[in-house]
Amino acid sequence: MTSDPFEALGVEPVFNLDLALLEQRHRDLSRTLHPDRHAVSGAAERRRALGRAIEVNEAFRQLKDPVRRAEALLARRGVQSGEGKEPPAPPALLMEVMERREALAEIRLSKDQVALGRLIAEVEQDERRVRAELDRQFADAQLDSVEILKKLGQLRYYRRFLDEAQAIADDLF
Amino acid sequence: MLLDIFDPKAPPQAIGIDLGTTNSIVAHVRDGRPVPLITCDGSPLLPSVVHYGREGTVVVGRSALSYATREPERTIASVKRFMGRAAGDSETTRLGAYKFVPGEGAVVRFDLGKLTPSAVEVSAEILKSLKQSAVDQLQHVGGAVITVPAYFDDAQRQATRDAGRVAGLEVLRLLNEPTAAALAYGLEKQKNGLFAVYDLGGGTFDITILLLEDGVFQVKSTGGDSALGGDDMDREIAERMLNAMGASDARTRTPEVVSIALEAARRAKHALTENAKVALELPKKGGGDLSFELTRADFDAWIEPLLERTGRACRRALRDAGLAASALSGVILVGGSTRVPRVRSYVEELFGKAPLADIDPDLVVAYGAALQADLLARSSDEVLLLDVLPLSLGIETMGGGVDKILPRNTTIPAGAKATFTTYADDQTGFDLHVVQGERELASDCRSLARFKLSGIPPLPAGLARLEVSFHVDENNLLSVKAVELTTGLSQTVEVKPSYGLTDDEVERMLIDALDHGEADFELRRLRDAQVEATRILLATDKAFDSDADLLEPAERARIEQALTDLRTAVSSSTQASRVEGAIAALDDATHDWAGRRMNRAIQAAIAGKNLGAVEQSVAHAAGVEAHLKKHGAQ
Repeated sequence: MTSDPFEALGVEPVFNLDLALLEQRHRDLSRTLHPDRHAVSGAAERRRALGRAIEVNEAFRQLKDPVRRAEALLARRGVQSGEGKEPPAPPALLMEVMERREALAEIRLSKDQVALGRLIAEVEQDERRVRAELDRQFADAQLDSVEILKKLGQLRYYRRFLDEAQAIADDLF
Repeated sequence: MLLDIFDPKAPPQAIGIDLGTTNSIVAHVRDGRPVPLITCDGSPLLPSVVHYGREGTVVVGRSALSYATREPERTIASVKRFMGRAAGDSETTRLGAYKFVPGEGAVVRFDLGKLTPSAVEVSAEILKSLKQSAVDQLQHVGGAVITVPAYFDDAQRQATRDAGRVAGLEVLRLLNEPTAAALAYGLEKQKNGLFAVYDLGGGTFDITILLLEDGVFQVKSTGGDSALGGDDMDREIAERMLNAMGASDARTRTPEVVSIALEAARRAKHALTENAKVALELPKKGGGDLSFELTRADFDAWIEPLLERTGRACRRALRDAGLAASALSGVILVGGSTRVPRVRSYVEELFGKAPLADIDPDLVVAYGAALQADLLARSSDEVLLLDVLPLSLGIETMGGGVDKILPRNTTIPAGAKATFTTYADDQTGFDLHVVQGERELASDCRSLARFKLSGIPPLPAGLARLEVSFHVDENNLLSVKAVELTTGLSQTVEVKPSYGLTDDEVERMLIDALDHGEADFELRRLRDAQVEATRILLATDKAFDSDADLLEPAERARIEQALTDLRTAVSSSTQASRVEGAIAALDDATHDWAGRRMNRAIQAAIAGKNLGAVEQSVAHAAGVEAHLKKHGAQ
């Protein structure tokens, strides 16, 4: 699982990935590699196919997630990314984070579905905007990767917030 | 016990088994169509009930059911609810007639006096009976696909596979029930599209969203509750009946009384499917009868909270798949409990469309299992099932949280790694706790395994590094490996979640189950090795046909020698170990070649859409269509 996920799936290494093509590739490769296809093969081949099938599934999972896709693109440029490796968030973003966290904490108690829906919609909009910005940044080969890392930190925050909000939604209704 | 004769000319027939909470079914594929086999009860449905007589006799099915009210503690029904559960699990405290061996053991054991069978052994009795029926009708039975609820966790799956092994079955695959149902439907009307499978059985609820495209059944998300089903509806009714009968506390609720109420509740539930009202005679405390009346409206109101639990799981599954209900092409009903009229109307309200139930919801899962068994045995490439991990897998972190290594709904087979570090100076051991579930605290998740990695050289905190890899196979079974990577030294521990039975225990049970113990076991091992060898010889011949150009001359000579040795071992040896050794030698000789062949196949798949591939995929799609027509709904 150390190999490049774009290569594992045979897709172009871009942030704005064609998700339909990605799914198609995943299906094509699964048809070849899935253990069911090797149920009557020898053990060596079964093991080999299983290993590759896992690699392809992991690459698929990685590329479907925009945060992990960005990390894979940065890795191709030789840039390490990950929690704590990104530049500190600007104060304005931190302020926004705190306010929204408080709102979410209140909703957890009040169980206000409407307010939760509104908050989720708001953050989803921000998340989409950041993704569009990342897409422009990745298209620019000259851009300093520190700029990308800053954006990525922001995307990470929005995605995690949405996960938590979704978990609360699961419990509420 | 009679061992069926191994006749290489009569091809073994693969079977599919739906090991249900209430009923179990075995089916196989005849002339391309799934057909149920008749069980010892003379019908396709074998009640999943096992009676242990005081004299040591074991009976299964309807004849066992007849003991339910006479000897309720010795007559085990709904054993599936106890699979993979520990002693003292909440499941053991629900309304029911059984006594359990107390304590903190890893598996639930039923307390029958001298005998204390585990849930695995009880399930194995049901599987043995089904296998015998299959052998009677098909002569030579090959591998089996056994279905499990999609929402079963790792311990429940391991327990099911163990039951299959104890029953002497070659378990080809554990298949998720909703996926099996989708396969059986073939979804023939719209061969491409998104479908939801709503599966409410006797003891479990599953919801699965899947996409069918070009012969690939791809599960998008799955959810559910492995302790929610028709039994709970019975309990709702039985609870009220018991109160009416004057048995309202633990003292008056003897196993016999509870068993009578549960049985009456089941009858009332079934009657309410056709009628708006039902009246039953129940015995009253202190003698005499009372008439208990029940309307469908009452029943509907009592089960509403249960239905809402299914609704929550459905909404979450849709959200996980990133879909709205309106995007679905259809909703399929599976499981006997979906016969309840309120369940059908609830599903219709939930998804905004009338559900499909053309295939008998009791048989559809076994049909799917038989189709999958047939596809696997023939190594067919018409259809491919891509399933997902139902519940997240993780490691307990400092402070009792969970670090999720593989999130739920990851396509399987799957693997992922995470790195951990020491938190104290000179720490020489790691305690790892593997858990499964969605809750934030490890203590609220299912504990799968605990293990300790020791012998780490003393280093300052944060310097030692431990890499933990999770590996989930196509049966959704987990294995964990931990490597300690300090200063170039590495240490590996292989962990199979130890919940339930060890391999030795399973082998012991298998030997005990055979009349001539060790001798029969050895014979079976030899037969298994011969089957495996025949399979590998065929596969290697096929590989020579297509990929001989990838071989170096010396490599080829070595493989041919290994092939000759294996053929000799198969035809002349009476020792399983010799055949097994020859298989291992061939395996070793073909190892590098297998890698090169795999790369070639991958290149072909990625190169994708050249003209040849397009033609092939068109031909493939046509094949799938033909297949679906053949196996489509009756």
